[in-house]
Amino acid sequence: MARIQILFVVLLLLAAGGAAVWYYFLPSKSRVEMHDATLKEVKEIVRLCTVEIYEEVPVKGHVGSRNLVAREVLVGNISFDLDGLRLENNGDTVHVTLPREIVEVYESTGPESYTVIDTWNDNLFESANITTAEENRMKQLILEKFVKAVYAKGYVRRARAEAVANLTSLLSAFTGKTVVVTDPAPNGYQTAKRENNLPR
Amino acid sequence: MNVLKVFAIFLVTAAFSMVFPSCGDDTQGRIYSEVRSVNKLQLSRMTISKLATINDLRLDEAENIKQTIAALGDAVKVGSRVGAYSYDTYMTAFVDLSALGPQDVRIDKEAGTITIDLPPIQTEFSGRDMGIKEVHYRVTGLRSQIDARERAEIKERMNAAIKKEVEEKPFFRDRLVNSARSKAQMFFSSLLSGEEGYKVIVNFKN
Repeated sequence: MARIQILFVVLLLLAAGGAAVWYYFLPSKSRVEMHDATLKEVKEIVRLCTVEIYEEVPVKGHVGSRNLVAREVLVGNISFDLDGLRLENNGDTVHVTLPREIVEVYESTGPESYTVIDTWNDNLFESANITTAEENRMKQLILEKFVKAVYAKGYVRRARAEAVANLTSLLSAFTGKTVVVTDPAPNGYQTAKRENNLPR
Repeated sequence: MNVLKVFAIFLVTAAFSMVFPSCGDDTQGRIYSEVRSVNKLQLSRMTISKLATINDLRLDEAENIKQTIAALGDAVKVGSRVGAYSYDTYMTAFVDLSALGPQDVRIDKEAGTITIDLPPIQTEFSGRDMGIKEVHYRVTGLRSQIDARERAEIKERMNAAIKKEVEEKPFFRDRLVNSARSKAQMFFSSLLSGEEGYKVIVNFKN
């Protein structure tokens, strides 16, 4: 009798274990639904890109007593719009003026490019939630700081110098003439057009 | 006795490995930064929009007992939790001009043509919007807010989904590359035809 009881308990435990394993491996359904990606725009451009930047930056901000700390990976590039470029022929020499630089900054599409490390409220019993608009504003400040740093660190200067060299070489090959590329602002235009990609 | 010695050595080694765990790794806490020179001629830019929604599970959507239990759990919660988020991702088509050599440009004065053999067109993801658009947000009753951490996780999943979709649907890349080819022909024709009225022929290597 005791043996039968033990056997029964063992079988019951095995059945329960099997059911638990079966339940565990059942597919669950996410509460997040992905919709198909849509093509918003295709724009034809002609830009000479001479410098690419990759940087991990800390995102720190607060709204009142609510705080947020995150890590973000930014990718940027400095390019020059050649679409309106005019070649001024002067005999066997071609003169070109380097246009204004375009500094673009985006969040990287690599994995874990934006990770929230912590959010908290200095007041213990109040909500620590940072809204989407508040978070976007913090990122806007990060963007502005990053672009200023791009100028301050001399990346724009470097990009313009390399653009002069690359454009000279490119146009010489295409025209078969001597090409002189003039740079009217070697340190860059401080109010250069920036491709801002934050929602308002 | 030998066994005791081996055991003692093991204990000492284990103790050291716990006290100095990161001896071989000095990169923790460092911010990574890289700047590099490139020589890319960007010819086309594509903007791709992605939308994701958060909502409770519905009983009629449940396909097995696990999902049914989760849906029942959501049904008894007080309040609703609905959100919709979107952002844009950018792809660029470009040619790497560092691969362009003197032999790739041929000027034929007799025929009146300039032939350019550009390097093959490549495509890459330039980046994505830093922020995220909150298309819809409704959290009521006793439900928890959709916080920054959850939004970051959603964005990460959307990012992976976009990349998979672009990989599986050649339409995106094909459209971008065709646009780039067309622009290259137009640009070089207008730039180089000049007073001599040369005809410009743009080819792309494979």
